[in-house]
Amino acid sequence: MASTASERRRGPARPRPRRRPAPAPLAAVSALVACLFATPLAYLAVRGLTEGGTLAAWTSAATLGPLARTLLLGVSVAAASAVLGTALAWLVARTDLPGRRAARLLLPLPLVMPSFIAAFALLAAFAPGGLLEGLLEPLGVDRLPAFEGFWGALYVLTLFTYPYVYLPVVARLGQLPASLEESARLLGRGPAAVFRTVVAPQAAGAVWAGTLLVFLYTISDFGAVQLLRYETLTSSIYTSRVFDRTGALAQSLLLGVLAVAVVAAERSATRGARPGRLAAGARSLRVPLGRWRGPAVALVAGVVGLALVAPVGVLAFWAGRGLVAGSTRAGALVSDAGGLALPAVHTATMAVLAALVAVAAVLPVAYLTVRHASRLAGAANAVIVGGFALPGLVVALALAFWTLQAPWPLAALYQTQALLVFAYVVHFGSQALRAAQVAVAAVPSRLDDAARTLGAGRLRRLRTVELPLATPGLLAGAGLVLLSTMKELPATLLLAPPGFETLATRIWNATEDAFLADASLAALSLLALSGILTWFLVVRHGNAPT
Amino acid sequence: MSRKTTVVALALLLALASAGCGGDRDALTIYSGRTQNLIGPLLEKFNKDTGIAIDVKYGDSAELALLLDEEGERTPADIFLSQSPGATGFLAGKGRLGQLDAAVLDKVDARFRNAAGRWVGISGRQRVLVYNSEEVSQAELPNSVLELTDDRFAGKVAIAPSNGSFQDFVTAMRQLEGEEATEAWLKEMVANKPRTYANNNAIVEAVSRGEVEMGLVNHYYNYRFQQESPGTPSRNHSFAGDDVGALVIPSTASVLVGTDKTDEATRFLSFLLTEESQRYFSDQTFEYPLVAGVPAASGLPPLASLRSPDYDVDALGGGLERTVELIRTSGFNGV
Repeated sequence: MASTASERRRGPARPRPRRRPAPAPLAAVSALVACLFATPLAYLAVRGLTEGGTLAAWTSAATLGPLARTLLLGVSVAAASAVLGTALAWLVARTDLPGRRAARLLLPLPLVMPSFIAAFALLAAFAPGGLLEGLLEPLGVDRLPAFEGFWGALYVLTLFTYPYVYLPVVARLGQLPASLEESARLLGRGPAAVFRTVVAPQAAGAVWAGTLLVFLYTISDFGAVQLLRYETLTSSIYTSRVFDRTGALAQSLLLGVLAVAVVAAERSATRGARPGRLAAGARSLRVPLGRWRGPAVALVAGVVGLALVAPVGVLAFWAGRGLVAGSTRAGALVSDAGGLALPAVHTATMAVLAALVAVAAVLPVAYLTVRHASRLAGAANAVIVGGFALPGLVVALALAFWTLQAPWPLAALYQTQALLVFAYVVHFGSQALRAAQVAVAAVPSRLDDAARTLGAGRLRRLRTVELPLATPGLLAGAGLVLLSTMKELPATLLLAPPGFETLATRIWNATEDAFLADASLAALSLLALSGILTWFLVVRHGNAPT
Repeated sequence: MSRKTTVVALALLLALASAGCGGDRDALTIYSGRTQNLIGPLLEKFNKDTGIAIDVKYGDSAELALLLDEEGERTPADIFLSQSPGATGFLAGKGRLGQLDAAVLDKVDARFRNAAGRWVGISGRQRVLVYNSEEVSQAELPNSVLELTDDRFAGKVAIAPSNGSFQDFVTAMRQLEGEEATEAWLKEMVANKPRTYANNNAIVEAVSRGEVEMGLVNHYYNYRFQQESPGTPSRNHSFAGDDVGALVIPSTASVLVGTDKTDEATRFLSFLLTEESQRYFSDQTFEYPLVAGVPAASGLPPLASLRSPDYDVDALGGGLERTVELIRTSGFNGV
């Protein structure tokens, strides 16, 4: 993390946070949470041992090629998303960007597009012979370049994952005191210099938190790479999942081990990074963009246009065509959109529950990892965050495996909403943990010390001092889990109770049979619902005046 | 919203959500690789006719098969409906499928059921070449899938190598044309620079855009695209009736070992093979009915007129490991 190094050189000397040994209850709860999150990895290890052949599969050419492509794509998408997400967050949170209230609502939304339908819609829009080519034809463009492979996957995945960076950074920037930037501006620095010397070092933790999630999401993504024909480990796992169990299990385990190693390396690289400075309620600064106003608006509009308007436009086109034509098919959404009401309720309920449970579950671990130095903290962090890289199919099979092995009260949870929420929490808890760590780190331990001196007990300090200050960051984490859960497909299909439909399963159902109009209606509903929930839960509480 | 209203709203939502789903332990539980659009109305009718409650879990055939394998004897499922014999064969190989009633099996032509009685075909889909009628004239199209290795088709053919139906087709080719001929065909196809796609939908969509001239798919996808978008220039071309390219692949029904609802399960399978249900497949899903005497949808060549390749359908499941390996070693990317 280059910014941390430069920050250390330049920044005023402040004492490093004191790391006290972890209190026993906190350590015990964290260990339990980590064990629950380790269930998919443990399943892969157990199955790998019983099936055998893991090492041979790891070193075969059928694994090494896709592995190299997976890493290349993961690093590239992570870098692109880090730049894009940070720039957008700064524009929205810290500048006088026109239309930033709308941008605040729209910019997180691409995260909710399931990649299997978003990539399909973008292909229809941008690929040769697609809708865009039709629009450009009068201008003399008659063949667009191919839209596929590495560059296609980089483009699509960056557009749909930058919110992982944008959301935590915008939450962090909303809390930064204006004084530093004001001083910097008084010293005659322009917006770019203020950003580089003041804002970037303070936001670095949040940027890094999101970037790692983008990397993990990218290496676990299947829908986009499959449609764009870029062969990664996940597409290889998909192909061999039934007829080469040994290979599929070994490659899944490799993905998990890789992710855990990357997360552990990241933690040791960033250990000792200073927590940010925070002054609650401080008025945050608006940097006037001046002559950069035009390009800034163009950037935000461009991103919203490509990541949101283009796929939504294609979906609206398909939906509109279907609505005009109508359908005589029983249960067709184009003739009776009421069929979406119950799936929408299911989607919202599961997503809100998963978001709340995930934040509650990872909060102790966030405290442990930020405030206390221990091996347990490192292991819990690696297992919870690294688990995000495992495909949803693996999470679902693992939970089926463990639940059905368990004694009666647990086995009875199989194919209930409770197990489904648990699956979402295990799958996406990493997102809540990363955001919670940033939020907890941002609470100065000085405040905690002061409250302690005044005789406040541990829980009272947590309730009255720390949680209120950490709330925006925790909500950003909840928002990430919420949006990811709403579009989750493979685990939902396998673990939901029979007959329990969500919007994602409706989209999948219609897409499978090429009922594009129905798929589009369901996808647009998912997007609308996400927008409403994001506004209610995240934007409204984002405590940054706009 | 105050904290109290938030909690109340959440509790209400949860109550609504749990009211909306089954979990009825007495119901016949079906894991269906056929989507709701393709089978839902039939399930409702069965429930209405017999009063037998049904719990259904929809999903991808291969992934449901993996779940059933993982669940083992504790599975809540009684019946498995699969889009492809491959996933069914995988479960049969694991000893997870029970013997079906002879009366059920006998309704279907021996070509479309399991010789050991572990599964029965309920509808058929034909492999075809979908092509863009604005870019290619029908006269240029080949009679045999084997001709696609000709130079004149270089760079013009779309294939979905990771798709279950394509893999079923290659397995059939191994049996009808032999191992070596199949391997040679796959390698020549790769040398002829085919364009690979994720699935049948993506191929039909790309063909209708004109991104690629033609592609190997199942016949019914183009019917759906034409319904949704009447102007699309994509058309189906059938290979000659005795060509391996014109293979008819059954979607299957099977009963899990250890179900305690054998009678209900048998009634359900018989119901799927009644003339009325079979007509549903031909009229509503554009598939081939497999029970004798039920005509195929208008516009489709009748099943009887197809000298559908006489392959041993069981090997479609059992032999798939080798098929996937063969496709992979031939150099198709995305496999």
